[in-house]
Amino acid sequence: MPTVEVDPDALRQLTGHADKDDEQLREDLFALGLEYEGETEDGEFELEFAPDRLDRLSVEGVARSLRYQYGDDRGVYVPSTNDPEWTIHVDSDVPEERPYVTGAVIRGLDLDEPALESLIQLQEKLHATMGRQRAKGAIGVHDLTMLKGEVPNDEETTKSITYTGVEPDGDTFVPLDSNAEMAPADVLTDHPIGDTYADLVAGQDRYPAIYDEIGLFSFPPVINGRRTEVSTDSRDLFVEMTGTDQWTIDKMLTIVCYALDARGGQVEEVRVEYDDGSGPAAGRELVRPDLATKRKRVAHDDIETMLGVDLDERDVVDYFERSGLDAEADDGDDGTEYAVGVPPYRVDVLHPVDLIDDVGRAYGFNELEPRYPDVSTVGGRHERSRLEAAARDTLVGIGFEDLLNFHLIDEEQNYERLNVERPERSSGDGANGDSREPGTDVFGGGAAPTIEQPYSEDFTIVRTWALPSVMMVLENNTHRAYPQDLAEIGFSAHVDESENTNVAERRTVAAALCHAGASYEDAKSRLQALVDAFGKDLETPPTEHPTFISGRTASVEIDGETVGVIGEVHPEVIVEHDLELPVAAFEFDLEALR
Amino acid sequence: MKLPDAQVAVLEAASANEERTIDRIAGEADLDPTAATRAAFELEEEGLLAVTERTSSEVSLTEEAEEYVETDLPELRLYRAAVSLGADEEAVELGRVIGEAGLDGPAVDIALSNFARKAYGEIDSGEVTADPEKNADSDDEAAALDALAAGSAAYQSDVIIEDLENRGLVERSETTVRSVTLTENGVTALMEGIETAETVGQLTSELLTSGEWRDVEFSEYNVEADAEEPTPGRQHPLRRMAEQVKDTLVGMGFQEMQGPHVDADFWINDCLFMPQDHPARNHWDRFALEEPGAIDELPEDLVAAVESAHREGVGPDGEGYHSPWDLDFAKALALRGHTTSLSARHLSGEAMGELEPPQRFFSIEKAYRNDTLDATHLLEFFQIEGWVMAEDLSVRDLMGTFTEFYEQFGITDIEFKPHYNPYTEPSFELFGRHPETGEMIEIGNSGIFRPEMLEPLGVDCDVMAWGLALERLFMLATGAEDIRDVHGTLVDLEYLRSEEVTY
Repeated sequence: MPTVEVDPDALRQLTGHADKDDEQLREDLFALGLEYEGETEDGEFELEFAPDRLDRLSVEGVARSLRYQYGDDRGVYVPSTNDPEWTIHVDSDVPEERPYVTGAVIRGLDLDEPALESLIQLQEKLHATMGRQRAKGAIGVHDLTMLKGEVPNDEETTKSITYTGVEPDGDTFVPLDSNAEMAPADVLTDHPIGDTYADLVAGQDRYPAIYDEIGLFSFPPVINGRRTEVSTDSRDLFVEMTGTDQWTIDKMLTIVCYALDARGGQVEEVRVEYDDGSGPAAGRELVRPDLATKRKRVAHDDIETMLGVDLDERDVVDYFERSGLDAEADDGDDGTEYAVGVPPYRVDVLHPVDLIDDVGRAYGFNELEPRYPDVSTVGGRHERSRLEAAARDTLVGIGFEDLLNFHLIDEEQNYERLNVERPERSSGDGANGDSREPGTDVFGGGAAPTIEQPYSEDFTIVRTWALPSVMMVLENNTHRAYPQDLAEIGFSAHVDESENTNVAERRTVAAALCHAGASYEDAKSRLQALVDAFGKDLETPPTEHPTFISGRTASVEIDGETVGVIGEVHPEVIVEHDLELPVAAFEFDLEALR
Repeated sequence: MKLPDAQVAVLEAASANEERTIDRIAGEADLDPTAATRAAFELEEEGLLAVTERTSSEVSLTEEAEEYVETDLPELRLYRAAVSLGADEEAVELGRVIGEAGLDGPAVDIALSNFARKAYGEIDSGEVTADPEKNADSDDEAAALDALAAGSAAYQSDVIIEDLENRGLVERSETTVRSVTLTENGVTALMEGIETAETVGQLTSELLTSGEWRDVEFSEYNVEADAEEPTPGRQHPLRRMAEQVKDTLVGMGFQEMQGPHVDADFWINDCLFMPQDHPARNHWDRFALEEPGAIDELPEDLVAAVESAHREGVGPDGEGYHSPWDLDFAKALALRGHTTSLSARHLSGEAMGELEPPQRFFSIEKAYRNDTLDATHLLEFFQIEGWVMAEDLSVRDLMGTFTEFYEQFGITDIEFKPHYNPYTEPSFELFGRHPETGEMIEIGNSGIFRPEMLEPLGVDCDVMAWGLALERLFMLATGAEDIRDVHGTLVDLEYLRSEEVTY
């Protein structure tokens, strides 16, 4: 979940509630769903919250929500904007991997150090969330006075910058935190930040680049140039965003504009003009930021049904307004409906249910009286689950200690340590799977579903049988009293192209007897007792299996079908698991008892 | 007549004319007194012996009293010292008298209080005067102690004994003395001759079928001795907890779901209205499979409906995500990150055909997270997943259902914290008061499925759902502190063998 660091003094100042002490602020924040996690060295609150209200990623946004909660503000607020002076041209050299741009100018700021830090934090947090680590949207903030707009040939006074592409070793600029002129490719290899974001442009012929009349000044989404670096002396800012989706960067821009408006800045629009041939948006002309209010209709009945209470229309309008929304009641197709105005920073409102949720929060969900739904249904266990429980009861009754092991394991444990040959991994052409690969014709020997990016080298595949896990428990418990007669009814799987998912999943009964004198006969007597209990016929014709001693190994045949294996475990396997006592074991498909 | 040998010995040691104490009988019969007593009662039941009981009370000296017999009572030492310092004529400073008497520690207090009680003189303003009329050599209590020490039975008046008892110098105890005499039948039996019955260790099938068991004596066992403990078959504690939760849910009308562990991302995420570029869907968090890579087939209509919900949203005022949506990505296989994939398969009709409301379903099956292992997190865990499908469900119904469920596990006082979840709205984190510590702790996640999830699945009523980790409930209920000690191959068999049974 995202966290945001918020200076309590800034909160008091921005909400206009100098009287609130830290404790009260923490309570009010909790009521908003912002959980206090601790404090930074500078005494800022560290707040954690669910990633829906991304407009609360800055102290300015949190303060706005608090003012609604306090009742200081009601309804929708939209900052005023001035007409555009600047234009962003997008030309046909723009990389197709990152075709979109947006922007705004903010004037008349007087940012102190904390306010500047808050802006930087908002930028980072937006990158981490909506921006998907800058892949989907990346923000650049520049000191406007350092930009020089081209003066076009005609009489227009508009100034402009150009979003385009640059050869990796083309034009150079001095990136932030550096003194050297670098080409974009050099930034990726020689600059610490370049290194971090190099993956985002890897393999592209042209890298995203922004130019003004002087030249290249920004290399999104990697790094800005030093020339336009923002400081506490900056009064006017140029905010641009590039990305893979216009809506996403426009919303990120909106959230930044609201935050800077709260700091006393005057928002000024910017034109975005996509040239012909500039990719999917070619020919489009936009004016940004787009601060238009969205309208959605919500039926009164739907609100009452969802909350389970009767509500007065005026109260509902009040709840909407206290949530920073506008609402007007009218008669719609489904009785009373509300036309609800949603401010542009609300990126979380996709459907009217999201607005009902706001009403619920304003009403207070914990004010609702729980009631047990008057709905009658008949409960029951899944057949396989009943079978599993019955088989486990029987196993426990005949003296097995029940185990519960992981379904994930590594290949060596699953195959080699049980003397079973590891099937070769497919080379990715999908041609393998069923049988006849080395090792796949023995029980437990099939190809395992393999994890792409394993977290740990101990858990790289789904086990193909359960006996390896049982052997591991024996290995880890040699200091404990014997007999150790262990069993597990557990999940395993193997690659099987006849299945829709290409994976056959099953539950098997795996059991091992480990004590002085443990023999084939011991194992068979228990297996016999188990199979008898389910009214099935057991036969054990001799077979070979690399885990077991030759001549003391049999197929488990239940009602005429070969479903598993039983035998005395081979000394190699026993010694491999550091055991000093004989082990007799069996494993077979649980389904055979059905 | 055949009798067990202990009874024979007691019978032979008893007399018809003289009451003999059990101690004496035991001595003669070479039995320990307990065995002799038991044999005597058994013989009384058979009418061969009469047992009489007499209670006698005894007075014995305590350790403290034994010491005073040697050194004199402290108050007498005080009196003698006072007289020797002339306190019988003129008051003497207390400290001097105590010094002269050689008293210290608790003995000083004992001396002072009893000196006053027996009126050997007065103590006032730190000075002692001794009553010249008194005689320390004829103290009643001292005399009684001496007599008791000498073993004299002719003890003193009860009043004095009581005083001594109050001072903790004597203890009174009662003992029961049993004596036996032969009855007429006993004499007759002896005259007719009595044989000793043989003793047996193990009750055998032969003894039972021949009726011989009637004439044998069973040798005594040391029934208090420790016995070797068996290694019983036991169900795994976490498994037992799962069964308990299943029972509870079945009792509440829930039906169980099962389904694939390895599944297409479509069922795991797309059907749940999780955008394809959601951070939880990147390959670092999820268990994407390298082999096999993708599901063969997905229901076409459903795919189209789900894609449309992602792109356009549902309903006249709905809107979709501004995220890419790609069929290949949806078909990619992974170990399911939650068992909500089962809910999606059931709600869509894929698992068991179209469902008509009302329905309640649950599963307690494994989910997989490619994440750090620690005391409370495993790579695989059992997710309790449940949902209710009905017309017009409200947040109150959700609260009522979960309040009822958690009460079954002793967790009351539930709070619902509004939360965010891509596939439910409203969404709530559930907090409950820990039955032991009283803390409010997170016990699950819940919500009402969004229209963008339900509409493509073809569900046109409401569905509320919740989930939590079985391991979390287990740790709460049992106080287990490290889940790695419970679930997996690192388990200690000693733990499985000794963990208390829950029910």
